[in-house]
Amino acid sequence: GRRPSILVAEKDVRSGIPECFSHVPMAKRASTSQAHKDVHSAVLAVGQQMATFAIKDSIARLEATLLAFRKVIESYETPKGNSLSRHFVPHVLNPQIEYLTECRPMCFAMGNAIRLLKGMVNKFDIDTDETEAKEDLLEAIDVFIRDRITLAELIVARNAAAIINRGDVILTYGRHRLVEKTFLEAKQRGKEFDVSIIDDPYDGGGQELAKSLRRAGIRVFYSPNLGGLRPNVERAANVFLGAEAIFANGSLQAPAGTADIAMAASNAGKQVIALCETINFDRERVSVDALTYNEIDPERNTAESFRLLFDNTRDRFITGVITEFETGTGNSPAQAI
Amino acid sequence: MAPSQAGYAPNLDKFLKSLKGQTLEASTESLIYLLKRKQVTGDECANATARMLLQVVAKSKWHDVDQLLARVQSTGSRLARAAPHEPVIGNIVRRVLGLIRDEATEDRNADEMSESVEDIQALSVPASPPPPRPHPGLIRTQTAGGSVVVSKSMFNLLSVADTADLPTTTSTPMSQAQPASVSTLRSEVIDGIEEIMDEISQADDQIATFADIQISPGDYVLVYQPTRTVEKFLVKAASKRRFTVFIAGIEPPHNGAAEAPYSALRKKLNAAGVHTICLASNGLMAYIPRINKVVINAKAVYQNGGLLVDSGSSIAALAAHAFSKPVIVLGGVFKFCPEDPSDQVKSGEQGSASSSVTYAEGAGVDALEVENTVTDYVPPELVDIYVTNLGPQTRHHLASILADHYKPEEMVLTMQLGDA
Repeated sequence: GRRPSILVAEKDVRSGIPECFSHVPMAKRASTSQAHKDVHSAVLAVGQQMATFAIKDSIARLEATLLAFRKVIESYETPKGNSLSRHFVPHVLNPQIEYLTECRPMCFAMGNAIRLLKGMVNKFDIDTDETEAKEDLLEAIDVFIRDRITLAELIVARNAAAIINRGDVILTYGRHRLVEKTFLEAKQRGKEFDVSIIDDPYDGGGQELAKSLRRAGIRVFYSPNLGGLRPNVERAANVFLGAEAIFANGSLQAPAGTADIAMAASNAGKQVIALCETINFDRERVSVDALTYNEIDPERNTAESFRLLFDNTRDRFITGVITEFETGTGNSPAQAI
Repeated sequence: MAPSQAGYAPNLDKFLKSLKGQTLEASTESLIYLLKRKQVTGDECANATARMLLQVVAKSKWHDVDQLLARVQSTGSRLARAAPHEPVIGNIVRRVLGLIRDEATEDRNADEMSESVEDIQALSVPASPPPPRPHPGLIRTQTAGGSVVVSKSMFNLLSVADTADLPTTTSTPMSQAQPASVSTLRSEVIDGIEEIMDEISQADDQIATFADIQISPGDYVLVYQPTRTVEKFLVKAASKRRFTVFIAGIEPPHNGAAEAPYSALRKKLNAAGVHTICLASNGLMAYIPRINKVVINAKAVYQNGGLLVDSGSSIAALAAHAFSKPVIVLGGVFKFCPEDPSDQVKSGEQGSASSSVTYAEGAGVDALEVENTVTDYVPPELVDIYVTNLGPQTRHHLASILADHYKPEEMVLTMQLGDA
């Protein structure tokens, strides 16, 4: 009886979406009572936070998901007559994933991590001791978070900060964790530079970034919207943009408005640097416009007020991508995922 | 010219109503105040300037052409300085100055030529350009009354010159020419300004008549903060075509303000079977792949083909260009400036910062350098077609339109108007 009720609810929520965007998915607040009985309480909580965008960017979602999966593994006991390697994924992990996807379409980083996790479970010998397997999995998750999230952030910030020169004005859009970290890192190393922030008025993250940078003593120019794009681009030495994902063809998926800035800056001959952890790279999917992989803002999903969350920046508008492993162009092969 | 929508610039209305009862100086002051406060903006500036100059011609004391030119120029400069980002004010001032010069030349020539009237009578067919006459720069037509009327360049093409009102200057002896020609000139110039006012008020409707050529069935059209010109264009197209309109530039939520405006426009379009989608979005690149063409409103069109626009329109033009989608610009010929954009124009006008950042947010905000650009410049490379009241034009045609509407004397006026 669960399926039909969800379908009806979904139809209602989506009924206002204009026809030409009807293929684009959208996060929705799936009631916890509708969830599969096997969904772990930690996953339920994460799902709700994703549906309401309390946890928003791809890496935050990835980390929250992994930590919740950790709890799922900890509380897992293989039923009699089953083995972990055969039972865990289809009967325990998949319902969690399904629920999370219902709350909000998975980001590519989550997809990549889940694939790695499943691969690891599948590699366990059928006779592997359960406690040992669980410990291995938990450790793998910890290492994963350390390497691909925590260290990756540090290294990307350090590499990007190295590009900033004394006296530069660096332009950025909204608030991205890696970009913020980069500015703070550069400042800490004693570099003198200014930051020019163009904000997304529907998000407002740029204002938070502005405050954080001001507290660190960095001079900030703040534009509340893209209106001042051209003058801002002209003043800038470099543009630093945070990416949500990078497709196999080198296109960048990032908050809507990023492509406008990258294009304007690239046309003006400025360097456009994208910052992105390798876990956000998708090596299978390609996308040349914002209508292939995207999400509708659940707060604005009718013809009266409509908004896509992301846009697509083609690799020709990007000078380089800085990752924790290497710095190159968007479609240079990043380390295997 | 009465605005159809309630709340559409009541301040301009109030100003126009007050013109009768006020002294010239009081009217000038109150218009300057409205311009400075941005309570009269965009296309309204053109109308207000023409009305104001009409008052100058009608009410101020002047005894010869030079005095009149000086009066118009002085008031015009004050208005232009009050709103440096409304170049259309300067355009109207130039047009009126050109008009005065035309009329004055005509009067003098008319006097000189009183003996040769018979020659002309013998020659010409009304309303058609006569064969070359030894009077360079002036095209003459013969009227029934026997007086000579200058067919005043392109801007008069659309209105019928009412020759009945023209006093017959041919019989005025030279000795009495001065007083008589003052009143003649006054009424001729007033007629001319009224024609400019007609041109301004009819521009939107004339531009709209080209809508169904530019918009085809099934199109996805992007507009940014549609002005009355763009609205009329869309509504006119909607009467013939089924298409979809993306309206961008919806005001983001500040203090809980409603998000989906343009309800009157959307109702009209929806009633005609045209879909509308309001984009609550900052960037527009995301939507361009879905869109066929972009229609934007020009606040002014410069000599080089560049545009002065509301800042978001340039985002739309840039995005369209990146995907090779056509950008259609709407603007009456009165918005065409006989000058290149200044560096100031190119760097954009800053608006009030307080609407975007709440100072109540305290720490951090005070030290921010907030920049809120409200107008922007669109370079000519981004524009495909200019739809004017005279029809669709390309960039290469702008020079001839400018030459038709401005005299060389007024082209030099730039410095006096803009700076000072």
